[in-house]
Amino acid sequence: MKDNTRNSIRKKPKSFFFILFFLLLIVIVYSATVGPVDIPFRKVLSIILSEAPIVGRWFPTYEGTDRTIIVNLRLPRILLGVIVGSSLAVSGTSMQGIFKNPLASPFILGVSAGGGMGAAVGIYIGISYYLLPLFAFVAALGTVILVFALGRVRGKTDIATLLLAGLAMNFLMSGLTNYIRYISPPEKEFHLRILAFMFGTLNGSIWREAIISLPIMLIGIGLVFAYSKDLNLFQIGEESAMQLGVEVERTKMIQLFTSSLLAATMVAFTGVIGFVGLMMPHAARLVVGPEHKKLIPTSALFGGIFLVICDTIARMLGEIPVGIVTVLLGSPFFIYLLVRNRGETGW
Amino acid sequence: MVELEVDSLVTGYQEKKILKDISFEAKKGEFLGIIGPNGSGKSTLIRALTKVISPWNGSVKYDKKIIEKISRNEIAKKVSVVPQDTFINFPFTVQDVVLMGRSPYLGRFENPDKKDIKVAKEAMQVTNTLRFEDRSVRKLSGGELQRVVLARAFTQEPELLLLDEATSQLDIGHKKEVMDTLKEKNEKENLGIISVHHNLNLAARYCKKILLLDEGKKHAYGEPKEVLTNSHLRAVYGVEAEVHEHPKDGSLYVSPVDKKIDTEKGEETIHVVCGGGSTDTLLKNLVEKGYQVTTGVLNVMDSDLEKADFLDIEVVTEAPFSSITHESYKKNLELIEKANVVVVTDFPVGEGNIRNLEAVKEGVTTDTELILVDKGNIDKRDFTEGNRGTKLYNEIFRKKDIKKVDSTEEIKRLL
Repeated sequence: MKDNTRNSIRKKPKSFFFILFFLLLIVIVYSATVGPVDIPFRKVLSIILSEAPIVGRWFPTYEGTDRTIIVNLRLPRILLGVIVGSSLAVSGTSMQGIFKNPLASPFILGVSAGGGMGAAVGIYIGISYYLLPLFAFVAALGTVILVFALGRVRGKTDIATLLLAGLAMNFLMSGLTNYIRYISPPEKEFHLRILAFMFGTLNGSIWREAIISLPIMLIGIGLVFAYSKDLNLFQIGEESAMQLGVEVERTKMIQLFTSSLLAATMVAFTGVIGFVGLMMPHAARLVVGPEHKKLIPTSALFGGIFLVICDTIARMLGEIPVGIVTVLLGSPFFIYLLVRNRGETGW
Repeated sequence: MVELEVDSLVTGYQEKKILKDISFEAKKGEFLGIIGPNGSGKSTLIRALTKVISPWNGSVKYDKKIIEKISRNEIAKKVSVVPQDTFINFPFTVQDVVLMGRSPYLGRFENPDKKDIKVAKEAMQVTNTLRFEDRSVRKLSGGELQRVVLARAFTQEPELLLLDEATSQLDIGHKKEVMDTLKEKNEKENLGIISVHHNLNLAARYCKKILLLDEGKKHAYGEPKEVLTNSHLRAVYGVEAEVHEHPKDGSLYVSPVDKKIDTEKGEETIHVVCGGGSTDTLLKNLVEKGYQVTTGVLNVMDSDLEKADFLDIEVVTEAPFSSITHESYKKNLELIEKANVVVVTDFPVGEGNIRNLEAVKEGVTTDTELILVDKGNIDKRDFTEGNRGTKLYNEIFRKKDIKKVDSTEEIKRLL
């Protein structure tokens, strides 16, 4: 991206956010047209508008299968995609911020796998749907604390050790999830559910999931955003941040808590969808720069748009899990980052 | 204005005690230097003064209030810190980083306003960083980034500025520039400064008071002339050094004791007239080849002097940033007369060191071999009035049969 384009975005973030938001709406409507039954864009738009709160009263109500497909099948899935994409992207932004490193993300650090394991335990013992995020969150938080503790070498976070610790936790947590799948009762539905979990999918999403995860997303993104200034100061070093008035340890704890909460809640409903949290902060940083007040909302919008697009592609490819699409896109990106940063001190 | 009191301070990291019973006071507008060997606790003291680590015993007080009772944000409005180096992973612009200095004054959701930006611009002006304010900090040199960090510290509008070997990454010219800026802020705006120095001469030249630390304890504290004495330096650093008074402004400087080395008969002696880092690796190469090497006159803090000092060769020194006195001129002349070979490097000639050329003119005899490093650019490195340097240069090097080389590298091949 050209420097002057970037500067004009940096100086006029409001109109930029407006455009991004508009883009998100278009992607949502377009995505709803795609599926086994093709429904024209115009019709999808009318159905959505007629169902929308407040504005809905000015539009004629539709009845029939198209309405059922859009409202009961596609919209909850797409909205959950937006929520999950945004949450994972902001979770990654927060982690890259506190670890001062562009390679950190909930997937890489094993937090997603931890959450997945927690949710698998929940499914195995048959707890209520509403408690799944809690199980996922506890396991994810445990994982992130362990990874963080393992990654500290003589009081400092060593990024190579941190990544290895994340890798180790990824293995451990996936192994445990596999074990649960192995010992779980042989009903087909049950296995498929845990299996879908390991791939990460938005298939079969229901309104209830979107409704539970929406407030968690809003609170989580709000909490990360509230610490924008502190996250900026983290980047010049923890000691300097402290000397500029930041309560470093408290900030770190709140951010680890929030980023785990965001990632784990989403994992609880969709399984492990990798690399969104790694790629979106990068893409956002390229456009608006590293300043967190602009970076966080941009990441959130990018995440939402990206995941809905990926899921649309997944549906076009014959209903493959969206996690496969993101991993296939994300792994080369991660390798690119590794190669680009190779040999640079501190990465 | 903030007043600092440190009383019987004991602290360290985890199990390791670093500072053992430190007490001192810094009044408003003080310019205090902290010196001491590596591991004496200088940086730890800076951390203790900014609540990065807390006292195990004793206390740190600002305006009679103990540091634990003051919030980090309150401290940040009064005290700012320039660390030794800063590493920034993400491409913030210079202005972004400088504006971070305003954060103690801004609420959680507040953006910098016009006044904040004005403060930042002024700080960038003073530190000479304004011209690259839109550049990414990832693209700056170490010295440039350090000046950006200094601008950030000024933007905090502190009453007390702490520097932890903040100039150690800078070259001599920038060192002086930064220290002069600090001196001016100290004198005109009554900004209190506490600076940790690795370089004794910087501390001696700029600080009004000096605290000498040794193994976590206060070894001496007071005015430079009370602290920088032969006996203190010997006790703490284990070196023999001479403390001189600057002939112009009376400030102190420290130089290694003049080493008198007996030349054996028949051994070849080479005298190098140099300065400003122009020797490159020449001194080292000559010593390694077994020559008896001497050099002079060099100012204290000149990088060529640092090299000579490291190689333990005989050198005539002069006070920092001051002209060659008659006394050093004579000493230098003696060395030139004694030498079999005299090398003149392509150093910048100014009013301060033109007498080195005069000594060459006076001292070389028909028996002396004269080697000149010249890239044919004497007019560009002559900073004397009326081009006296160039004239003198031509006089010396025209009349004698001399060897001309265009780099110090070539000398190795000649000898």
